[in-house]
Amino acid sequence: MSYRYRDEMTPPPPERASEVAVTRFEHVYEVDPALMTEHVTQQTFPNWDTLRLVRSRAGHLAWMHAHFADKVVSGEELLDDLDR
Amino acid sequence: MTVTLGDPVVEELRRILGHDHVLTGKADRLNRTRVPAPFPVHRWAERMPDLIVMPGSTGEVAEVLRLAHAHRIPVVPRDGGTGLTDGAVPLRGGIVVDVKRLNQIKEIDLDNRTCTVGTGINALKLNEVLSRHGLLYPDDPASYPCSLVGGRIGTSGWSLIGSRYGHTRDLVLSFDHVLPTGRVIHVGDGIGRKITKSSSGYQLKHLFMGHQGTLGIATEATLKLFPKPEAEFSPFWAFDDYDSAYRTVGQLARAGVATFAGAVLFDEWKVAYLRRDDEAYIPQPASVKALVCAALYGYEDEVRAGGSRLMRIARSMGARYLGDEISQGDWAARHDRYATPLHGRTRSGQVVPMSWHCEDASINYTNLPAVRLAWHEIADRLRRASDVFDDWGMFAYTNGATGADYLTEIDIGIWEQRLDDAAWAAWVSAKRDLAAVALAHGGSISACHGSCREGEVDLVPEELGGGFDVMLAIKRALDPHNIMNPGKYLLDRAYPDQDGSP
Amino acid sequence: MPDPEKRFAEEWRDAAYNCFSSGHKFCREVCPVMQVTGNESWSPTAFHANVVAMEQGSLEVADVAADYVNCTGCGACELRCPNSLFTGDFYRFRTRTVDLVKGVRSLAVRQEVHQPAWRRWNELTAERTHEPVADGVSQERVRDWAQGLDLTVGGETILFVDCEAAFYRPSVPRSVACVLGLAGYGFGLMNEQWCCGGPAAEMGYEEQARRFAEHNLADWRASGVRRVLVLDPHDYITFTEDYPKYFGEAFDIEVVLVVELLAALIREGRLAPHVPVERTVTYHDPCRLNKRKGIWQEPREILRAIPGLTFHDVDRVSQWSYCSGAGGGLAVEKPELTAKISEMRMGKAAELGVDTLVTACPWAERPLTAAGEARSIGVVDLHELLAESLGVAP
Ligand SMILES: Cc1cc2nc3c(=O)[nH]c(=O)nc-3n(C[C@H](O)[C@H](O)[C@H](O)COP(=O)(O)OP(=O)(O)OC[C@H]3O[C@@H](n4cnc5c(N)ncnc54)[C@H](O)[C@@H]3O)c2cc1C
Repeated sequence: MSYRYRDEMTPPPPERASEVAVTRFEHVYEVDPALMTEHVTQQTFPNWDTLRLVRSRAGHLAWMHAHFADKVVSGEELLDDLDR
Repeated sequence: MTVTLGDPVVEELRRILGHDHVLTGKADRLNRTRVPAPFPVHRWAERMPDLIVMPGSTGEVAEVLRLAHAHRIPVVPRDGGTGLTDGAVPLRGGIVVDVKRLNQIKEIDLDNRTCTVGTGINALKLNEVLSRHGLLYPDDPASYPCSLVGGRIGTSGWSLIGSRYGHTRDLVLSFDHVLPTGRVIHVGDGIGRKITKSSSGYQLKHLFMGHQGTLGIATEATLKLFPKPEAEFSPFWAFDDYDSAYRTVGQLARAGVATFAGAVLFDEWKVAYLRRDDEAYIPQPASVKALVCAALYGYEDEVRAGGSRLMRIARSMGARYLGDEISQGDWAARHDRYATPLHGRTRSGQVVPMSWHCEDASINYTNLPAVRLAWHEIADRLRRASDVFDDWGMFAYTNGATGADYLTEIDIGIWEQRLDDAAWAAWVSAKRDLAAVALAHGGSISACHGSCREGEVDLVPEELGGGFDVMLAIKRALDPHNIMNPGKYLLDRAYPDQDGSP
Repeated sequence: MPDPEKRFAEEWRDAAYNCFSSGHKFCREVCPVMQVTGNESWSPTAFHANVVAMEQGSLEVADVAADYVNCTGCGACELRCPNSLFTGDFYRFRTRTVDLVKGVRSLAVRQEVHQPAWRRWNELTAERTHEPVADGVSQERVRDWAQGLDLTVGGETILFVDCEAAFYRPSVPRSVACVLGLAGYGFGLMNEQWCCGGPAAEMGYEEQARRFAEHNLADWRASGVRRVLVLDPHDYITFTEDYPKYFGEAFDIEVVLVVELLAALIREGRLAPHVPVERTVTYHDPCRLNKRKGIWQEPREILRAIPGLTFHDVDRVSQWSYCSGAGGGLAVEKPELTAKISEMRMGKAAELGVDTLVTACPWAERPLTAAGEARSIGVVDLHELLAESLGVAP
């Protein structure tokens, strides 16, 4: 709830997720930083900003569904019905 | 040839439009030369207009065109500036008519289910208002958040959910159109504003859509509206090989499900592309080589029934459903994952900012596999030669409800900063080759963007045959001085006596 | 091309190309300035493309400085840009229009290209150590708003009150003080508070901005302040983005947004709104909270805790394209444009049939109030509304 420089500037340590991606926050992928060393370098990215984007993306996707239709049908449910 | 406009013309334009709506600054002009399609940065300034006008009414547009016609000044209509075939790019200087201020909603007719809008309006913004009435204007290109109605008319655009609702040509019922001479006409089916079917006279509506601003400027359009769907369903499936995915998409599209709004086939290059930076595909097993998705819209009961049918078909074809989270998330992201510059990679894997080129032929279902291989070969050739180009994979999207043909798209990343003259020449020739493949397979060079960029445009006369001569005759009849967007679509050939220039 | 432009273009090259190479302008329809003017020269896309043109040697800052006035710093464009929203976190590289606009404005000022109203505003701010938001602004009067509230000066936790609230909307900080007092949350006032410096930075007067920041930080250090409470979203940005940039790791002050604190106090049961407020309201998400910080939940929590309110909410994503027009110095240099943007925002409120627009940003309140008059919609500050419902309205 509050901002502290040191907390924000210390991201969790990366774990490898694929040949080209790592993960620091749960379910959030990032490019392997080694790929951004020659032409484009990464920006300073406080933790709040990463989390803000992740949450805004989720908000935006939900908004886009609601913009086009009132509800979303679940394929998992339809598959269950087929099995029954 | 660049016309340098004299002061009297500028003064006259200011009189017509007001001082604030005639822009002559350097940055004003530079920023009206750009569209998203890649072009060598060092040649940017070649495409500068002399000035920009921002009209506020059909009458003002007409006055500007009358003046331009009288003085033989080139005019380029510009709306969202998102077109991918350089339509809104001035090739001969002159006046850019930026119609973004024509963005009012003039009428919402609840009984006839239409609305009338200025052509500077954006469909997403329009739908925010329509949703209060439970209505939707379903023209849904991937550029839905940024393209505008005038540009949709100027390109005769293509919609992601067109298999259910039709494309721009079906959704725009009629519009006020300013001819190159400044005369205002109304085009639609017959003369009616809200008529959806007429057989009175020539069918002019089609002619005045997709002309890329070469035949005038649409200012106010009447659009067809639908009930906002109650339910949406957008399953995504994974496959171990392209052929199974190809067979599946064909079955889905031919199933004849009434709520079917479209299906998309992703090939293995596209899957590899997604594995670079898309959260849904980074964790997918290596066996995933192709994807298919479908979208359905309608009342919940009909969407569920149609959805079940498609799920059953896909399952019988060996498709693996990717789950609700990916299916729903990816469909909702359908506008956002095209032009991602940092998606570019050098051959050694380093991230570089690349522009997105989208080649968008219309190809029959049966020819998709052959076109795919031929296109990747062309992309490979570019990539092998240089870090400037990157193959971002292919999509095929249904054009209609019966599954006859597909918008067939290869996405190529281009590192514009390094696009020197040699790389540009290689690119233009590759574009010509891509278009030739489409034609050799009985297709059309473009399903949505138009085909007036360097390279591809050379093959338009071949594609249209005698139809191209008709185009020349019409152009000359309607625009005797070749002021409307000169240099596009090889239409200079209509003016052999004028050396192609106004 | 003069050297400063070249250096600037080099610094911003990657960011500029990241926009230039997409060029799709997803930003256009959420940009408040674009919505009311339609002028592409003032679009976020143009702001980036101009840097490419500077690199090519075809533009100088004097050609474009006036274009860069047309931005409220609301952050809608950079958030809606797929390069932020879809891949910003992945690449740790996102669109930064707000910083770019500030950068160009500062480049202009360094080259003596001034906007007249901004120059005057910053001269007066330098003289008075506060922005000239009202008559009688002076250092002596910065704590006038707290008269009679019996607040002490100093302590580990202090409440920082922005210029607009301190001198033009004193009932806002008074409400905050009363509510915190009711919850038993201890805080003091700042020893010698100057303007946070954020507005100067936004208008390009970077040196002045830093001077003010240095004063404030030194003052906090000298009086043992560890925690700063902020009620103004603009200050919150300055303290969590500008100060860290100026001072790096040495910036060891905790910054707490009052709205978040109040929502937590309600959640913990330390504040229990009980006086019914019979109004039909909608909430205006301050751009700097919603778009730039992702803070939208807490204000709604507070509103939902107030009995008597009929709350017609408009979701936070729709509000990415809303703005009061007050930010980024626009109201100082181009008040007519601010008024148009406020008018557009008020139009959205009117469609909901509300009598009140609640906001949580002192700077938004002035233009929104003016726009609300024609439509008989009142503008009320969230902190004040909460104080009323807690029975401690000052
Ligand atoms: C990310 C992205 C995704 C895209 N996805 C799709 C897609 O799915 N489907 C699709 O069809 N396109 C797509 N496009 C291409 C583009 O968005 C469309 O071609 C769109 O129709 C262009 O609209 P605009 O308003 O940007 O027009 P502009 O680019 O301004 O103009 C396009 C053409 O129309 C002419 N024109 C503009 N206004 C008028 C007018 N009032 N009267 C007559 N002529 C006019 C111009 O001169 C130009 O030739 C995409 C583009 C991007 C960047």
